[in-house]
Amino acid sequence: MAEHTSTPTRLAAIITDQGSVPHDSSTTHVTGKSEYIDDRPMLKGELHCGLVYSPYARARVRRLETAPALAIPGVVCAVTAADVAHNVWGTIFQDQPIIAASEVNFVGEVVAVLGAETKEALAKGLAAVVVEWEKLPAIRSVAEAVAAKSFIGSERTIATGDAAAGLARSPHRIAGTLEIGGADHFYLESQAAVVYPREDGQLEVHSSTQHPTETQHVVAEACGVRFSDVVCIAKRLGGAFGGKESQAAPIAAYAALVAKQTGRAARLVLSKDDDMIITGKRNPFRIEYQCGFDVDGRIIAMDAMLHADGGAYADLSTAIMERAMLHCDNAYFIPNMRVRGQVCRTNFHPHTAFRGFGGPKGVALIESVIEDIARVVGRDALDVRILNCYGPGQDMTPYGQRVEDNHLPELFATLTERCAYRARRAEIAAWNGDRARNPDGHPRGLSLTAVKFGISFTTRFLNQGNALVNLHRDGTVQVSTGAVEMGQGVNTRIAAIVAEQFGLPTESVRMMPTSTEKNANTSPTAASAGTDINGAAALQACETIRGRLSALAIRLRSIPQESWAGKTAALGTMPEITVGSEVSPRGTDEQRVEFSDGVVTVTDRSGSVFSVGFAALVREAYLNRISVSEYAHYRIPDLGFDKLTGKGKAFLYFTQGVAASEVELDRHTGEVKVRRVDILMDMGRPVNHALDMGQVMGGFVQGMGWVTTEHLVYDDNGKLLSHSPSTYKIPNVQDTPRVFNADLIFNHGNTVNVRGSKASGEPPLLLSLSVWTAVRDAIMSARNHSKTENVHLVPLAIPATAERVLRGLSPESFAIWDTQEASAVH
Amino acid sequence: MMLAEWLRKEAGLSGTKIVCAEGDCGACTVLRAFPRPGAAFVAGAAFEYEAMNSCIATVAQMDGAHIVTVEGMQRGNELSPAQHAMRVCHASQCGYCTPGFVMALSGMLEKHAQADERMAMNYLTGNLCRCTGYAPIIQAALTVRATEQHSVALRYSDMNAVAESITATEQSMRVSHDGVELFAPATLREAVTFAALHPGFRVIGAATDLGVQINKGKPMPAALLSLHLVPELYATKVSRAGATFGARVTLAEVRRVSEDVAPEFAQFLNLFASPQIKNVATLVGNIANASPIGDTLPFLLIAGGTVHVAGRPGGKGPIRKRSIAMTELYLGYKQLALEPGEIITHVSFQRTPSREVLRLCKVSQRKDLDISAVSGAFAVTLGTGRRGKSAPCVTSARIAYGGVAATPVRMPDAEQALCGELTTERIESVAHLIAGSIAPISDVRGSGAYRRVTAAYIFRRFGNEVLRG
Repeated sequence: MAEHTSTPTRLAAIITDQGSVPHDSSTTHVTGKSEYIDDRPMLKGELHCGLVYSPYARARVRRLETAPALAIPGVVCAVTAADVAHNVWGTIFQDQPIIAASEVNFVGEVVAVLGAETKEALAKGLAAVVVEWEKLPAIRSVAEAVAAKSFIGSERTIATGDAAAGLARSPHRIAGTLEIGGADHFYLESQAAVVYPREDGQLEVHSSTQHPTETQHVVAEACGVRFSDVVCIAKRLGGAFGGKESQAAPIAAYAALVAKQTGRAARLVLSKDDDMIITGKRNPFRIEYQCGFDVDGRIIAMDAMLHADGGAYADLSTAIMERAMLHCDNAYFIPNMRVRGQVCRTNFHPHTAFRGFGGPKGVALIESVIEDIARVVGRDALDVRILNCYGPGQDMTPYGQRVEDNHLPELFATLTERCAYRARRAEIAAWNGDRARNPDGHPRGLSLTAVKFGISFTTRFLNQGNALVNLHRDGTVQVSTGAVEMGQGVNTRIAAIVAEQFGLPTESVRMMPTSTEKNANTSPTAASAGTDINGAAALQACETIRGRLSALAIRLRSIPQESWAGKTAALGTMPEITVGSEVSPRGTDEQRVEFSDGVVTVTDRSGSVFSVGFAALVREAYLNRISVSEYAHYRIPDLGFDKLTGKGKAFLYFTQGVAASEVELDRHTGEVKVRRVDILMDMGRPVNHALDMGQVMGGFVQGMGWVTTEHLVYDDNGKLLSHSPSTYKIPNVQDTPRVFNADLIFNHGNTVNVRGSKASGEPPLLLSLSVWTAVRDAIMSARNHSKTENVHLVPLAIPATAERVLRGLSPESFAIWDTQEASAVH
Repeated sequence: MMLAEWLRKEAGLSGTKIVCAEGDCGACTVLRAFPRPGAAFVAGAAFEYEAMNSCIATVAQMDGAHIVTVEGMQRGNELSPAQHAMRVCHASQCGYCTPGFVMALSGMLEKHAQADERMAMNYLTGNLCRCTGYAPIIQAALTVRATEQHSVALRYSDMNAVAESITATEQSMRVSHDGVELFAPATLREAVTFAALHPGFRVIGAATDLGVQINKGKPMPAALLSLHLVPELYATKVSRAGATFGARVTLAEVRRVSEDVAPEFAQFLNLFASPQIKNVATLVGNIANASPIGDTLPFLLIAGGTVHVAGRPGGKGPIRKRSIAMTELYLGYKQLALEPGEIITHVSFQRTPSREVLRLCKVSQRKDLDISAVSGAFAVTLGTGRRGKSAPCVTSARIAYGGVAATPVRMPDAEQALCGELTTERIESVAHLIAGSIAPISDVRGSGAYRRVTAAYIFRRFGNEVLRG
């Protein structure tokens, strides 16, 4: 069955990009020298921490005794709810206890933290803690939550035109329900933190967190110390994908509480199993929808009700819902639209951010609806997409932001051509009907979907960043920002931006660990905005320094070199040079200053040139008491989304792309094989092409896992059963599309973002929905042999597991057995 | 203690990462050389390195082994070919899986100067990456070339080390820690004696399952018996009738030998587990573990599989040996027809006759390195002489399934029903018989209904393949 027969060079075309600067940690990554949390050497007396958590989805804690654990030699400390100074946290709503006291609301909710000298003692201690639980009824699905009106936040609406009237006058209408499952982040480095108690009650926190500022705050509040007593440092993360945006904070707090109580260093590193059981996932969604369209497939109206499973606590779910609602249009103009969204409170782990942040749910809806429209009107889905695509005359989103710098029509046209969509569509139809070539009747499907992903946090105040740039007298630079490096290459990009500013090689720029003492009040590295906001702040700091250095260089031009401070400062024989902010980073109209190749040149109008080495100039600045450091703050301009009316400019710009996926389904097992994927995206003018391609291909394959093999299965107690890679199947190397092409278009028109680039982290993930719609296309082709009057619109939940696919292909085979086993797990 | 933990915390080599602690992600991959016990030292002998998962390998069983971690790959400031390729192909993002990929690739380069795509993919099956989508890693694997100066075998086969290694494998070893005794005898006699005197003992093989249980905090048996120092258990015998493998023969070697003896089985083993697992795990281990979804078991059930066991009742007197047919071995869930104190020493199966059509099939969520929901093994012999004229005639049939009951099972009723003229109708009725005669459970890998439906489907696919010739 294994078919790995494509040409060995199929990937060569796409990764020959050896001209891009490799990731700034690439050498230490491949040599194993990159340091992650648990790679930090153990200090003398450092404690291992472990968690006691609920085995029930909802229960009352009748009795909790840690004394038997403390009696075990080596167990040093036990922390419970009573020890937490401020025992409630939450990024949006403060509704979650750090350590639960009397009631638990999900499997994995922590009731006690132990600190022990060895791992053996810790394991014995955890087993010795006595908890008496009283199991309580739990809410274990969106449906149950809706019935019980168990909600988080209130229902929100985004509307334009008149959806009801539009539906009423539509020649065709479809209605359905879409079930979308969650997904585990499966970052390879599980949640981890080490806390070192420092003098006078201070705490130094090293955390695998996307949000050092929030981690700092939650740790301080939990421990009852001031924010100024806590420094949170995140050097690098072994993957995060949203899973460490909010949920890293309590993990750090657990270690901090042990450190605070014992005065000893404390380390908490979750096992993969505990991590998967305790931490929240991508929110599962259930979407009910109606769509009306004309005989050509032009959308007239859509009405959708989105319910998200928020889990037991609010976490980020309401913001995730908002982004889902803002992406129900995706690439398509919908004149009459009503989208409502409600987050449900259930008894699962609190669901949280995951690459795409709700966006993929909205896009899944509209892309699947378009496939249905195409079936109904008897056209190719691509034609229906192009018909409805945003463009001249149809460029207003349902939330009242105009789609500007729109490259969608160009992307559709180019990819259709490049991937030979039309020819392959015909070939697939032939294959599906050809019993000689395809004796087992394995159906193939093809689908080309789009993404238009809004870049900016929808919460306005998060759209700010800050950066500290320090020049040193040997001409090297250290840069600190609020951005957290988690593999995406944000440090490499910012270093490139800074190096370009000073005309230095990138090796001269060192990115420093993200730390709240250098960059405070930062936003999480999330929403694909890491480079956008932090890179822009760094750029601003560089420009200020360049202004001062330019002014100095212009002054030095008129001073003989032997009188420069380098020769005279120690003697104090020459007057000091002072500069203000009168000169721009590029010099003045008379004297143009350029920074390149480690040299600063001043060119006057006559064309006469003066040059000074960069390092020498920095030294002169220092000796003249001119600052060669700068801190800058950046805010994204002109954002104005009103959450109450659901209207306004939600995003600074959109990252756009298209992807075509071809799949083959195993008629006998439902197994999905991705035969070919072609991706084309607009990333503006990339800072680092290879890193962007890494985000494109990596994000796509990650999304492919979500829509196919990654299946979260819970038992009747609400406990996750698929909590390790033996049961939870992320894509492996053999799942990579057999043919995998990705490319970017040239777009120098994005003037609103730093260096003309576009955010690349999340948008590619949404293109993986083309795999899911292609699977559905294959199923529907198999089920609709002839063009009959009655078209079967076969629903397909996400993920399209082998079982679901087989059920879609052959519902009749399952019918007899299902009735025998009503309790089957699906 | 597991090797990965020891490397990281005791040896201070934190480049080796622990992620899943169950041998499924490859982040802990290291290279290991282990001289075959009983081998004599030969001047000029070199270590032979293979990739393995260090997170599920006990340190005790590494006695006499030579381990190379990612820290050992660089020569001064010069990156090894695998490291260089991973770097320039942008094959590392967050970096956490990277040392594991570097070591998996390095293991490949110890055997092959370069790889084609299929080989590259097979060598990387045991490593998970969540960032890159694998494309740049495959690119690194395709562009990398082995060099002599970076060969791990040439760099580290110091003669003293090799000699020391061989000496270490010549003596029995006993380790006690925290109430658990691990004994690795150098002879079979000592092994069966220990087994007889320690009721409740368990054999610890490559620990690819037991190691996982230990990592996940399951209680450990008080007595562990490791057979890795018993020379005769490394023997492979191939004859015209079939093949016999000792309890310590790895799946990697079984796969190699099977290319001739049972090609379909060899092919099937490509989908089974990862190189890191197959380099250490054994066929006997898969049998003794007795999982209802053990992937090799349906094959052994239809290929005349026999296990050879040894015991020494009371720990006295001669070693008693006997054989048990695979079809008689499984009594119930994880229950074997072994007497207390008996251990499996060898397994044999028959050569696939050239006239037989034998197919193995597994149904899983992910094709590679995934535990099956259902697996099936089918073999038929067709009557001769009527070819082309009318439907082929099945003269004998064997059918076995895994994942459909508490043990892997043969299906005699279906086998009987399949004999006779092979028609679409017959295939259909046997498929129906199979689906109806099993009562699989619903679990994380699929519902009972899915198992029934796919059990029937994979048979139907086999039947149709035979029918089409």
